[in-house]
Amino acid sequence: MLEVEVEVINRAGIHTRPAASIVKTAARYKAEAFIVRDGFSINAKSIIGVMTLAAEQGSTLTIRTVGEDEEAASKAIIQLFQDGFGEL
Amino acid sequence: MPLFYKHEINYMGLFKDIQHLSNSYIVVESLLSSPLKFEAVTGNFGLNKKITNKNLHRPQLALTGYVELFNYFPCQIFGNTEIFYLNSINKSERISAFANLLEFDLPCIILTNAHILDQELIQLAIDKDVAILVTPYDTTKTTFLLTEYLDDQFAMQAVVHGSFVDVYGVGILFAGKSGIGKSEIALDLVERGHRLVADDVVMMTKKRESIIMGTGTNLVQHFMEIRGIGIIDIRQMFGIRSIRFQKRLEIIVELEEYVQDNEYTRIGLDEEPIKLLDVDIAYVKLPIFPGKNITVIAEVIATNYLLRTYGYNAAKIFTDRLQEEIKKKKGNNNPFFDNRNVKFFQSDDE
Repeated sequence: MLEVEVEVINRAGIHTRPAASIVKTAARYKAEAFIVRDGFSINAKSIIGVMTLAAEQGSTLTIRTVGEDEEAASKAIIQLFQDGFGEL
Repeated sequence: MPLFYKHEINYMGLFKDIQHLSNSYIVVESLLSSPLKFEAVTGNFGLNKKITNKNLHRPQLALTGYVELFNYFPCQIFGNTEIFYLNSINKSERISAFANLLEFDLPCIILTNAHILDQELIQLAIDKDVAILVTPYDTTKTTFLLTEYLDDQFAMQAVVHGSFVDVYGVGILFAGKSGIGKSEIALDLVERGHRLVADDVVMMTKKRESIIMGTGTNLVQHFMEIRGIGIIDIRQMFGIRSIRFQKRLEIIVELEEYVQDNEYTRIGLDEEPIKLLDVDIAYVKLPIFPGKNITVIAEVIATNYLLRTYGYNAAKIFTDRLQEEIKKKKGNNNPFFDNRNVKFFQSDDE
C-alpha cells in the first residue's frame, strides 16, 4: 500500500473534467486507488465518488493505491495534480 | 480539535479499505435543527461552542454549591428540580448560584418545560458565551429525544463504495470491484419498480447497537454514472417513486467475476454474516458471468430474506423433508417411481 499527500493547485478545483481524468487514469491500472479527504476515502475509479470530494484549490488529499502496480498508478495520478489537470 | 475520531477497526476482505469515523464534536447551533423545537434565549451567543460529549447531565447539587463531582462536559439540563430550587432562593443567591455554575466551561444549558430564567441570569450566560436553549417538552421527553439526536450525531460512520437499493423493502448494498456492474444492476432494479437509495458513494451510520442506516451524499443524491452513457439523474428519469433518502442496511451482496475454483453457497443453511461498523449484516457472495440475470437474483435474495424474517427458511424446510424421507424409507422403494409428485396423470392431458 502506498500513500501520498497531494494538493489541488488549479483554481477551479476538482470539477467535472479533472474528476474524469483522475478516474480514467486510475482505471488504467490494476491497483485499487482511493482518495482520502477528512478521513473518508472514496474509490478513485468512481467518477461520482471523486466529484463527491468537491475538492477546492488549496485542499490536500491523500492518494492511496493498493496492488501490484500501485507505484505506477500513484505516480500517474499525482502527475495530474501537479499539472493542475492541464489548467495552469 | 480534529473534526472526527478515527476508530481502529480493520476488517479483512470486502471492507478492508474502509475507515470508521465519528464526529469528535458538534456545535451547539446544530441542536437547533434537532426535533426539540429549541429556542435560543441568548440569541446568537454561544452557538459556536463545541459539544464533545453525547451524554446529558442535570446539575442539581452543583447549583447548591457542591461542585466536587460536577460533570460539566455534557449539555446541562435544567428541569423542574433545578428551576424550582433556583426559584426557592432569593434573587442574589440565585445569581451567585448560577454564576458559580458558569465558572465551568459548559457547552450549553437546556431548559425543559419552557421554563423561564431571570434576565440577569441570561445576561450572565451571554457574558460567558454559553447558549441557553429552551424546549417546550418535559425533561423525560427532552432526555429521550436529545439522547437519540446526539447518539446519531456522534455515531460511527463509514463511506462505502457500492449501490444501495431498496428491493421489496429490503435494503441491499451491491458491492464489488469498480466496473463490475453495480450501477447497471441498480438501474435495472429501478426499472423494475424498486427504489434507489444511493449509488457509488453510500454513507453508512450505525444506529443504536445493531442497526446500520444508509443514505447518499447531499451533493450526489440520486445521480448515477453509467459507463458509456455518463451521468444520469434517476429521480428525474424514473420519478419520485424510484428513490428514497434512507434505508436500513439488511443484506450485502458482493459481486465478483466467476472463478472456477471458488466455493459458492449451494444450499444456504449456514450463511456467514459480514461485519460493517461492528454490526453483523447478512452477506451473499454472488459470482457473475454472461447471461446471468443478477436483477432477478437480487429480487430472489430479497424475497428469501423476507421469508426467513417471517419464519420460513426454504433451505431448512427442504433439509427436514429429506431427512423425513430417509427415515421413512424401508428397503427397496425407488426414489423416483415411488415418489412422483403426481401419483396418477389422469386423462386431463394439460
